[in-house]
Amino acid sequence: MSPSDARSHLPLTHLSYHILVALADAPRHGYGIIKEVERGSGGAMSPSTGALYLALQRMQEEGLLEETAERPPEEEDDPRRRYYRLTGLGRRVAAAESERLAAILGVAAAKRLVAEPGDA
Amino acid sequence: MRESRLERLGRALFGALARLLPRELRRAAGEEMRATFAARQRDAARRGAAPVLLLWAREIPGLIATAVRARAGGPSAPSARRARAAGRAAPSGRRSRGAPLMETLAQDFRFVLRSLRRSPAFTATALLVVAVGVGATIAIFSAVNAVLLRPLPFQDPERLVMLWEHNPEKDWWQVNAAPANALDWRERVDAFQDVAIYDSFSDGITFVGAGGAELLAYAMVSGNFFDVLGVRPALGEGFTWEDTWEGGRPRVVLAWDTWTTRFGGDPSVVGRTVDFGGTEAQVAGVMPDGFAFPHGDTQLWIAYGWPEAQRDQVWFRRAHWVWAVARLQPGATHEEAEAQLDNVAAQLMDEYPGTNATMGAGMTPLHDFLVGDRRTPLLALLGAVALLLLIACSNVANLLLVRAQGRGQELAVRRAMGAGSGRLARLVLLESAVLAVVGGGLGFAAGMQGVRALDGVRSLTLPGVAGLELDVRVALFAAAVVAACGLLFGLPPAWRAGRAEPAGALREGGRGGRGRGPLRATHALVVAEVALSLMLVTGAGLMVRSFLRLRSVDPGVRVEDVMTFRVVAPDTRYGSRDEVVGFFQALDARLEALPDVEAAAMARQLSPASSGWSSDFSEASWEPERAGREILHREVSPDYFEVMDVPLVAGRPFTDADVTDGDWVVIVNQAFVRQHFSDEDVLGKRIAFDAVPTDGSRWRTIVGVVGDERQEGLSAPPRPEVFAPLYQDWTRGATVALRTRGEPEAVMPGARAALAEVDPLLPPAEVRSMEDIVAEALARDRFLLVLVGVFGAAALVLAAVGIYGVIAQATRRRTREIGIRMALGAEAGDVRGMVLRQGMGLVALGLALGLGTALAGARVVRSLLFEVAPHDPVTFVAVPALLAAVALLACWLPARRATRVDPVGSLRME
Repeated sequence: MSPSDARSHLPLTHLSYHILVALADAPRHGYGIIKEVERGSGGAMSPSTGALYLALQRMQEEGLLEETAERPPEEEDDPRRRYYRLTGLGRRVAAAESERLAAILGVAAAKRLVAEPGDA
Repeated sequence: MRESRLERLGRALFGALARLLPRELRRAAGEEMRATFAARQRDAARRGAAPVLLLWAREIPGLIATAVRARAGGPSAPSARRARAAGRAAPSGRRSRGAPLMETLAQDFRFVLRSLRRSPAFTATALLVVAVGVGATIAIFSAVNAVLLRPLPFQDPERLVMLWEHNPEKDWWQVNAAPANALDWRERVDAFQDVAIYDSFSDGITFVGAGGAELLAYAMVSGNFFDVLGVRPALGEGFTWEDTWEGGRPRVVLAWDTWTTRFGGDPSVVGRTVDFGGTEAQVAGVMPDGFAFPHGDTQLWIAYGWPEAQRDQVWFRRAHWVWAVARLQPGATHEEAEAQLDNVAAQLMDEYPGTNATMGAGMTPLHDFLVGDRRTPLLALLGAVALLLLIACSNVANLLLVRAQGRGQELAVRRAMGAGSGRLARLVLLESAVLAVVGGGLGFAAGMQGVRALDGVRSLTLPGVAGLELDVRVALFAAAVVAACGLLFGLPPAWRAGRAEPAGALREGGRGGRGRGPLRATHALVVAEVALSLMLVTGAGLMVRSFLRLRSVDPGVRVEDVMTFRVVAPDTRYGSRDEVVGFFQALDARLEALPDVEAAAMARQLSPASSGWSSDFSEASWEPERAGREILHREVSPDYFEVMDVPLVAGRPFTDADVTDGDWVVIVNQAFVRQHFSDEDVLGKRIAFDAVPTDGSRWRTIVGVVGDERQEGLSAPPRPEVFAPLYQDWTRGATVALRTRGEPEAVMPGARAALAEVDPLLPPAEVRSMEDIVAEALARDRFLLVLVGVFGAAALVLAAVGIYGVIAQATRRRTREIGIRMALGAEAGDVRGMVLRQGMGLVALGLALGLGTALAGARVVRSLLFEVAPHDPVTFVAVPALLAAVALLACWLPARRATRVDPVGSLRME
């Protein structure tokens, strides 16, 4: 697949982007994603359970996520839980969206709206 | 940590709402979603109930929004998006046909949720106000529903009537029947299919189980008791009419709980003979779970088993102690039955002039009879809570209107950009619907939980007959209340939004004003809020005054440091009078010897819990036609007056020498002397408990006079009463009263041991301190007071917030005008006066309206008040003054701010 293929998914909704970021380092189950999104956004983003699963379902249909049989051993296993991980496309879309946002952030920094990434 | 009821409720709520999701999503992820919700809720619950409710406040609208979005977009939405992104047209499949409306709705919904999230202070306030109003309403309605609306849990309950007797000469109305009369009604009134009889009082029977001897509360009933009610036993055959009459072994039917907890739920117990503290009884059946009539705590039923010969004895027609329940023949009318009953009562008058000369009979539908005097307080509470709900709705309507004014520009822009007026009105309505549903949902959950947590609610319900379970009626009522709320506070702002003039609003822009319409609406709402609050707070004020009066009533006995319990000497083990008297004397001696007991006494009953027996009497020197009517009489042990601290006014107390062999003596109270002897000296006079003395009459000499007790509750005046010595004129059942040193409850281990020494098969029943008894007598009044008080306080706060909000908003709108006035030389006092005048003008109008309505409506609560007139001047002056003071404060704050307006700055705002 070409990079342009990933770009056709942009821009992502906030929730979709947060979900992709949450899954970037490890597969998680639904509640694990919610907690990771809350942690990653400093509590500013806390999706409702309904919104999360609608998004998960749509992102699966779009090929960004897939279910995995891997179950992290330290988690206590609940048969009702399903674990999700990024697909290759999902990882590329996440990267493309991150680049897009970083570009905007760069412009904002140049206009002194925020500190340059890396600045103290 | 175990799952709490709140969590269970949350899961049920989430599960139910999840059904709104499209089937595909539910199939794919429904179970997992519920598990995730449960896990989130669990985490929230670790931090308390508030985080759980906050989670609901997010999850419930979130779920609804998801459902709308999922249905609007459908599962094909992502591919549509991809198609769009790739520059192709969206497929116009079957889904797009219905889509516009759903999609607009979904859009509107998202917009509303977003805008509510953007103003969390407004959203939280509105939700809280709605939740309080709806929650309180649901709580009270569930009690009203249980007691007044839900049919009794019997077969064809509308055919059941309670039969009672009345006697104008004795001033009796709706009193217990004499069994012989009830049996005659059963046989002679054709309109009755059958009549059952049961004892009006309950007592305990000893049962020795694994946990030692205990008392089970039983009800004595006729053999057809369960048939008349139309409730079949869950196990066994139950009683037959023959069990009413002596026929060998007594028979009992167990309550479900008794069967499961005392007999391990063993079905083979039916038919078996069980030893109840010396009484051998055969178990005839087990009633279904939840059946507990006539008393909420009935643990077993015993069939009377009367000797047949008893029917013809005079006392069986003279003593009134049973209730009679009749089932009407199918098709028989209430009027027919009543006329026939009247007729039979007249026959009995002729046949038994000695006992029935002035005795009439009457009937009342069973449900009405059981509800009794609970109706008025329940309806009064419902009225109070309806006022509170209206106040809450006007408050939210006000908040929405004020918000609409702030958002006038936003709406006008949308309108100018082509949004139809219908769509704008729909947005506002949708917003109020979301507030009503979410706030109402929270209130509903809290109200259903709350009403069960309120202990005092039992003083208004019918234990064993009407539980507070959630039923269809409560659920429908809750839905109706929520819908009504949404419309009530959504329609005024929606109406305004629909008429928003884009040009005008945009022109006025900087000033944020939109004509005088919304102002008039908010003003009307303030007037309404003040008027409604005044009505509610006046009710609360009357209750407070009444309760203070009631609490200051002197019961006539000293209630502190007195412990009480009841014992009944059963005839199976105490056959003769001497044995019963010996039992009580032995118990008295052992109790007196306890280290923490100052003095011990026994009495047939204690004031102010129950009045007990009454009869007529005559004095030895009276003319035959002069007789005293309806004096109470009670047997008490020698130390009774000392233990209860009832003053001896004249003569002597009872002594240990007042026994059967001695002279027959009585002590009377001051009310007796006042009413029957016009305060003359009664010591030495002789009386008999017969209206017309005969040769067989027993004459008793009055040896003492004591102070008055309130025998029938604190609100009833003391009645004339005659006391007889317990060791002379005996009784099987007596309440023990112990005057203690220190905590009353602390003497119970010793007292139990003392009782067990005298009779190990006789556990104490009704163990309560005297203070608990008085508190119980006040329970209903206290409950009403607390509820109405809380409603009143909530109304005051809501009204204050409402007034403040409107005046503050109005003042902000006039900032420029105030600035000009001040630039032209107006003093701070003038400006303050202007704002105050505007606010207090509305308040005064509200007060006048409310005062008029409250004066007209106060009579409704007359029966709930004790020694306070419904138009109590203190209340009707104090409450408006209080409201005016609160309103003044609410106007003062914006008025003070107005004086700080910087004239130059306010003009520059243009």
